[in-house]
Amino acid sequence: MANFRRFQPDDLNKLSKCNLDPLTETYELGFYLQYYAKWPSLFQVAEDQHGNIIGYIMGKLESSPDVYRFSEHYLPWHAHITAVTVAPEARRLGIGKLLTEQIETAADANSAWFVDLFVRSTNYKAIAFYKSMGYSVFRVVKDYYGDHSSDPSQSSEDAYDMRKPMERDVKKEHIRADGDKYEVDPSDVW
Amino acid sequence: MSSYYSRYGRPALKNSVDMQLQTAFSDGNWNTVARLADKRAKALKDPYYEAIKITAESQLDGAAEKCAAVLIAIDDLVRQKAVPDLDTLELYEWASHDFLSQDLNYAEALGPLRARWVKANPKSPLAQQCLQTCLEHWDLVSAQQIAATLDKANVNSNDRRYMFWGITLTYLLSVSHQCTEASRRVYSLLVLKQLERAADLTENPSATESTDRRLATEEEICLYYRVLLAYGTKADFLSRIQSSQLGAIAELKKGHKLLLWESLTALESWGEWDLVFTLCRDALNLGIEGLTPPFLVCDLLVWGRFSVAASKAKDPEAAFGEVQAILNKFISLTASASEMYKKNISVALLETTFRTPTLLLSPNPGHKGLTPRVIQIGLFLDKYFDKLSAFDDVKCYVAQLSFEEARAFMEDIFPKILDEQPDELKKVILKTLECRLRYLLTTCPQTLSHHRSVVDGQEQEKPYRCRFCSQLADLPCEHCLRKSVVTATATYKQISADSALAEAIPRLDKDPRIDLALVMGLSLLKLAGLRAKDNTGPARQSLRDIQLDLWLQALLLLDTQLKLTPSDVGLRLLLVQLYLQAGCASYAYQLWKPMDVKRTIQDALSPLFFDRISSLSPGLFQGGRPLMEPLRSYYASSLRDKCPMRVWDAFSSGSYTSIIDMSIYDSKLRKSCTLVMTLVEERRAMRSFAWKAESDIDDQSLAEGITDETVLVNKTDYGSFPNLESLHGPPIQDFLILGPGLSNERLQLGFLSEQYHDVLAFKPPKDYKPAKPNDVAIRDRSYIAERVADLSNSLTDFLHRTANLSLLTSAELVYYTVVSLLSASVVTSLSIPRADPAPPKTLSMTTSSVRTALAGLRSELTSPRVNPTTSQTCKALTNMHNVAYVRETAVAVKHTAAFVLAFHDKEMARDRRGKSALHKDVVAEMKALEAVATKTLAETKAHVQKLKEQLGEAGWLDRMLEWAYSDESSSSSSSSSSSQDDEALQAVKSVVSDSAHAEEWGGKLLESWREGVKGWGMVRME
Repeated sequence: MANFRRFQPDDLNKLSKCNLDPLTETYELGFYLQYYAKWPSLFQVAEDQHGNIIGYIMGKLESSPDVYRFSEHYLPWHAHITAVTVAPEARRLGIGKLLTEQIETAADANSAWFVDLFVRSTNYKAIAFYKSMGYSVFRVVKDYYGDHSSDPSQSSEDAYDMRKPMERDVKKEHIRADGDKYEVDPSDVW
Repeated sequence: MSSYYSRYGRPALKNSVDMQLQTAFSDGNWNTVARLADKRAKALKDPYYEAIKITAESQLDGAAEKCAAVLIAIDDLVRQKAVPDLDTLELYEWASHDFLSQDLNYAEALGPLRARWVKANPKSPLAQQCLQTCLEHWDLVSAQQIAATLDKANVNSNDRRYMFWGITLTYLLSVSHQCTEASRRVYSLLVLKQLERAADLTENPSATESTDRRLATEEEICLYYRVLLAYGTKADFLSRIQSSQLGAIAELKKGHKLLLWESLTALESWGEWDLVFTLCRDALNLGIEGLTPPFLVCDLLVWGRFSVAASKAKDPEAAFGEVQAILNKFISLTASASEMYKKNISVALLETTFRTPTLLLSPNPGHKGLTPRVIQIGLFLDKYFDKLSAFDDVKCYVAQLSFEEARAFMEDIFPKILDEQPDELKKVILKTLECRLRYLLTTCPQTLSHHRSVVDGQEQEKPYRCRFCSQLADLPCEHCLRKSVVTATATYKQISADSALAEAIPRLDKDPRIDLALVMGLSLLKLAGLRAKDNTGPARQSLRDIQLDLWLQALLLLDTQLKLTPSDVGLRLLLVQLYLQAGCASYAYQLWKPMDVKRTIQDALSPLFFDRISSLSPGLFQGGRPLMEPLRSYYASSLRDKCPMRVWDAFSSGSYTSIIDMSIYDSKLRKSCTLVMTLVEERRAMRSFAWKAESDIDDQSLAEGITDETVLVNKTDYGSFPNLESLHGPPIQDFLILGPGLSNERLQLGFLSEQYHDVLAFKPPKDYKPAKPNDVAIRDRSYIAERVADLSNSLTDFLHRTANLSLLTSAELVYYTVVSLLSASVVTSLSIPRADPAPPKTLSMTTSSVRTALAGLRSELTSPRVNPTTSQTCKALTNMHNVAYVRETAVAVKHTAAFVLAFHDKEMARDRRGKSALHKDVVAEMKALEAVATKTLAETKAHVQKLKEQLGEAGWLDRMLEWAYSDESSSSSSSSSSSQDDEALQAVKSVVSDSAHAEEWGGKLLESWREGVKGWGMVRME
């Protein structure tokens, strides 16, 4: 059984169920606190009956810096999912979906055009999961990751920039049907 | 100010400064800058150039006195009471950065100057930067003043931030140690009144109010409630939390859950159950009525508190009627809910059933045990048995069942679920769950009945009778544990033997064999005698009374399973603890490293490996990257600044509750037990190898602010341990970790002891030649006596606090007691006048206690000298923690004696008349102590050498395997149950059928023991 609530800093002492899983990255303290400081309502956790964190999502609301306003890669006001993870023991219960929906609710409440996220192009499970939630590939960021998750002979891996339009994007102007054909360099991503 | 500069970057000069000086300044050409600035100062009579000159001179090499000029200049500005020039301030702040804390208190100098400047320039855009700078130095007094000035200056603007910055800072100041008691009262009242007014305005907007000073955002409202909780009355809180505009339900309607969570916690702590009931009911009803998303508050916490509140209602029947009605409405909604919420509702049903008074539940007259509680658990498992969390979901409910209910559940309900399951794979999952539940029940006291504890005047070993198997038992019932081993083995073998099942397992979330191996392993460990630490008195080392062969069999079994399923974190963590207990720290480290405990999670998880590591295996500190470096570097980067990390981000984003929580978190991290553990473990290892420390332990920047008054915070995370124990007994970690977990008292004792060693080790620089040696000697003597007396008092105080508590191992208790006695003996030694004809007996009594303690510890050096058995050698290898403290204690004794005797010799050399030298009785006592310590260290060295020889003997591995793994081994202890022992052992052997792996495992064990002993061989025994 789980609780869904806003993250609080003491949760950093109860992350073992999520972060000892090799698929979950552990960041520096400042990284977690930056999200908690700037976007506390977009940092949500699921906890079990003993207070252990069994899932969390970190998101932010932003647009590209003004200096890029006229760039074709400019991103208008949107929510971005930075990290989402669910402990192995709590998978297949829809926790990842519930956490993602919470970010989407916050995105709508803050008039975001879309929610986006980056995923490794070989992470088929995650891609399928996001597609089932209405996300689609908007562009492919070539060699975005400095390593390859499944092929040690390769030194990099592409990322899919996936998006889901929010209520504000009535005309669906911020998504593409054929996004997987649009390739950009990591330098085009801010 | 010309432009804002990065924290440690060089400030830019005013635009009016000429290009030549600008260039020299930006190039860091400090001689030129000083010369040019001096010329400009004289020509233009502008004090700014004098400031540039002072700043430049402070940057020149070897300019200690020039740096003092910066401090003097700052001091002048403070005393002048005039509004300082901000650019000058910037220069001085940058120049004095390296002296902050040591020579310059920001809050007494630069902070007030910035506050003074903002007061004179409240509308300047640079005022906000002054606030940020004061916050970065965590100068809350100046920051609060600046925020108050900004709020006042912008009272007619629509920028609401200033008001809430002021309020938040007033609150932070009121709860900080920077605030005096008198000010605390004023600030607490001020912040409460400000927010009360804002709350009143929100509920009753005033037409005359020109600007918006209401509470609008979730953060503002929650800030109000935080302050109300801290400084307001309970009545005000209760009234406001039900308000239609500012109440928890009003917030929930906006989709904001935070206030409901925080208010339920407060109400529960006050026992305001009626209001808890109302809030939970209304919150849940919002979902049913469509005013919020249906499952917004469908959390464990809400359902749990709703049920508890119903049980405490005046009319429980009516209250539970309401709970049930709402629950039924949610059940009808679950078709469209996610799996998580469906399960939450099912657990809520269980929770409600268990909270409902028995009288209100329909009894089953035909079957006493088949109660609605048992049926509900059955219904839950029928739906969710295949979920990984199924065991944890029902564990606490099964443990609450009476024996009759438990028997009905295990003998009627569970077999029925099993029988009705046609799928073989699911049957296996159910059987695994059954094994875990059977193990759980062995930890529940209601499964035992009292038996005669004394028969014919003899105290019985087994004072209970197990109500499941009718055998005489202790807790846990050994017969049931053996049965668990056999049953779990049978299912394990069934899976391994059935190719269809084996093929299907990768499709499951978890290989059931892991849980079966855990049941077998934990049962064997308990059969071997593994027990949790007692809660009173010092903890004995847990393997002393253990049947080590059985214990090693459990280790082999679990290790075999880890080889098959290396990614299982729980199993890996458990094995790390067991190998640490076994004295195989290097092998435990090999298992620890792949978990990649790094960065932020180190504070909570590192104690699981690193606590007491210097006493287990000092050899790990040898070689490559320093062992504790990742921890040290984490703390250094996270605590580099005085302010909580990212706190300005929270201010600029209006995240007021985040600010408060981040401040609390930061404060706890600075007082972390793990942080002090890092310092102490590292320092002990350094002393073991006689490595030179750069500074005293309490002078390290990470130890800043840690005093006797500091209450160190333990945040160790045991959440990933596989815990099959019930809440009736201790959690699994109490069985596994070597000695009691981290505590304020233990870490303080460790920290103080290292400070004592620092005092003993202090030597003045060789070129130190004081002008008045006699005066210096008198001062030194007085300083040492005072410093050691302080340490002695603190050690005694913390030792008293550990009395009757299980906070130390017995070896640690002896060590800290001896250090406390030694420090007292130093004070006494220095204070007895040399000519005293009848010196007090205190010293001889103290040294006698030290000798007695040392003699007691020496019994730990038990390695048999002639033809040791494998069992004896293994026991000795698992006893290195105690051996470490024999050595530590002897070293402390020897170094104390050497320190006192060296002091005596120095005084004799300085003062030929010998008046200032120590009393002859002191010298005699210290020489006696030195002798006994030297002898103990020699024995310790011989003990380690003997272990090394024993491990090096040909065929030792074969003998160890034969002993640990023979059919005879386990049955030797209890003849009455030998057939069952055999059965359990045969069962285990059948799982660990690969003898090659057993040999490989034994080889690893041996290698790790050898590495450990080799490390001990490098430790200085003098």
